[in-house]
Amino acid sequence: MKESNMPRADFVTSMILIAFGISVLVLSLQMPRFEEHDVNPYSVPGIVPGFLGAVIAFLGVVLLIRSILQKGYRLGISGGTVKDFFSSEVTKRFALTIAISVIYALVLLGRISYPIATGVYIFAFIFIFEYEWKKSFSDQLKKVLMALVISVIFSAAVTGVFRYLFLVNLPG
Amino acid sequence: MLEGLQMFVEGFIGFMRPKIIFDVLWATQLGIIVGMLPGLTATMGVALMTTLTFKMEASNAVLILVCMYVGAIYGGSRSAILLNIPGTPANAATAVDGYPLAKQGRAGRAIGIATTGSFIGSVIGMLMLAFFTPIIGNFALKIHSPEFTWLAIFGIVICGNLTAPKDPLKGWIAGFAGLFVAMIGMEGMHAHIRFAFGTVALSGGIALLPAMVGAFGFAEIITIMKHPKYEVVKTKIERVIPKFSDIKRYFKTIVRSGVVGTFIGAIPGVGEDIAAWVSYDMAKRSSKEGDKFGTGVVEGLIAAETGNNACVAGAMIPVLSLAIPGSAPAAVLLAAMFIHGIRPGPLIMLEFPEFVFQVVAMVLLASTAMLILGLSMVRTLVKVLLVPREKLMPIVFILCVVGAFAIQQRIFDVGVMVVFGVIGYYMREMDYPVAPLVLGIILGKILDDNLRRALTLSDGSIIPFFTRPICTVLAIITLLTIFSRMKWFQKLTGSVRSGIKAVFKGK
Repeated sequence: MKESNMPRADFVTSMILIAFGISVLVLSLQMPRFEEHDVNPYSVPGIVPGFLGAVIAFLGVVLLIRSILQKGYRLGISGGTVKDFFSSEVTKRFALTIAISVIYALVLLGRISYPIATGVYIFAFIFIFEYEWKKSFSDQLKKVLMALVISVIFSAAVTGVFRYLFLVNLPG
Repeated sequence: MLEGLQMFVEGFIGFMRPKIIFDVLWATQLGIIVGMLPGLTATMGVALMTTLTFKMEASNAVLILVCMYVGAIYGGSRSAILLNIPGTPANAATAVDGYPLAKQGRAGRAIGIATTGSFIGSVIGMLMLAFFTPIIGNFALKIHSPEFTWLAIFGIVICGNLTAPKDPLKGWIAGFAGLFVAMIGMEGMHAHIRFAFGTVALSGGIALLPAMVGAFGFAEIITIMKHPKYEVVKTKIERVIPKFSDIKRYFKTIVRSGVVGTFIGAIPGVGEDIAAWVSYDMAKRSSKEGDKFGTGVVEGLIAAETGNNACVAGAMIPVLSLAIPGSAPAAVLLAAMFIHGIRPGPLIMLEFPEFVFQVVAMVLLASTAMLILGLSMVRTLVKVLLVPREKLMPIVFILCVVGAFAIQQRIFDVGVMVVFGVIGYYMREMDYPVAPLVLGIILGKILDDNLRRALTLSDGSIIPFFTRPICTVLAIITLLTIFSRMKWFQKLTGSVRSGIKAVFKGK
């Protein structure tokens, strides 16, 4: 992130922190105190999270004041900046990395067999980041085959090593 | 003292079996490779190894983890020198002088010096580990609930302060957020479930390993996939075996960096990266060639590499004596010890004193393996650095998933890993250090149990938190750590200092 954007990011984060800290404090105050069990009032479950909520909210306030002094409240969000953000190469790569990984970890795993899910993931990852759509398929055949070979070898190796050598259970 | 030496020798001889030596060699070599590869850090390596050694015998498993840890911190110097990309954050200071040396065609010499520096650093750290752990361990028996409460808060404050030198406020925010994460799930005193909102999975709490693998591993993958491609320096690697004259010439720097690195390692949550920077900075200030640092000065390289490897052993001092990790990989090591039924902490010198000296022997074995492996197979290993990130990162992610899943076998933990990965990524983007967050997750339980126990014993009075001798010291250091970063305090101490000087000069 650019240094000049930091006060703005801090401004937004500080609001989130204050809201978060206060919610934690409120939830902690609402926790049971087990008076009917004659429990020592200083051992109730809400004490420590309540203290932490208060500290987080306080640190949020300090961050808020600092970001306001640095004029972080001028968020400067316009149609143009939003469009630039979403169309930039960096955002695309970032979103793609998270999307493929989340699909693999939270959708495929546990539903289909581990080596198949893993092989598909490795292939998809390499293919998406290395394949150039502007070039013809025949020029890139070697690349695609290489991705296929790597995905087969590594999904087999990881499954074999973890499941049979180290006796670790794998999802799916 | 002699008893300690005897236990060390017994431990060392106990490890002299062919199978164990084989384990030491492969684990250290794997550590070096993990450290070399940008995207795989020491923390990740130790976390993954914890999964793999899950079913092994306790001392053997811990030995493998120590080898991985020592190997990875050293291995990162390889990519720092050849790529200008530190393989682990610990090697950032190594790149400053290591990369210019490689560009001047002296990559072999730089690698040799980094290896020797790392070895001597490890040995200095090891000696201090052997000396200080029993002392702190015996002292720790005097530490009770109010002191542990302060230690938890002090740990967060100092870790936040040192890992976010530009902006300690963000370090503290990260630390307190980590303490909060530890509050999720069932608490230890009344078995009340907090912040689970009715979900079964959350009521078990957020486990440390998945959170760490996410915050260090997945976050790193996302960051790396965004970066432009890197290139390896095309240079011939000449003689790697270091010259004795280099070591002799910089002996003072080596010893200083080793001692400083170990001490920084012993500070809760403050790890190898800070140790390397501080050692580097001290070398720069005291060197005659200080102004040339950054252009390929051997002294800078050796200071950074000695400092970070000394820190490894230093980080184990509080792990063993207080059950508080000195660095992020040490946090995983601590978790692994608990998994294997070893309980580090104040009672360790009474319950398992021999284990402490076994760990010392493990550090020596790992360092020796690192020295031998580091000076051999240099040219072959460099090829690993040529693997493109598009092919490497999906494999790293698969390891992250296995690392998060294997110990408790819950898909929920894989989700935790992904969520902490995204959180960790945004934290880095906004200059929040990740180390205090992780330290917070560990210290949260200590804070929760001890604050409530202390308050119950004192019947709600907070006076004992300030009047017990160790508490007074910890409270003063904590407050000084916070205030030392504030401008008015710096001005005040500045004027007091000049006032005192004026008195002595008689002006």
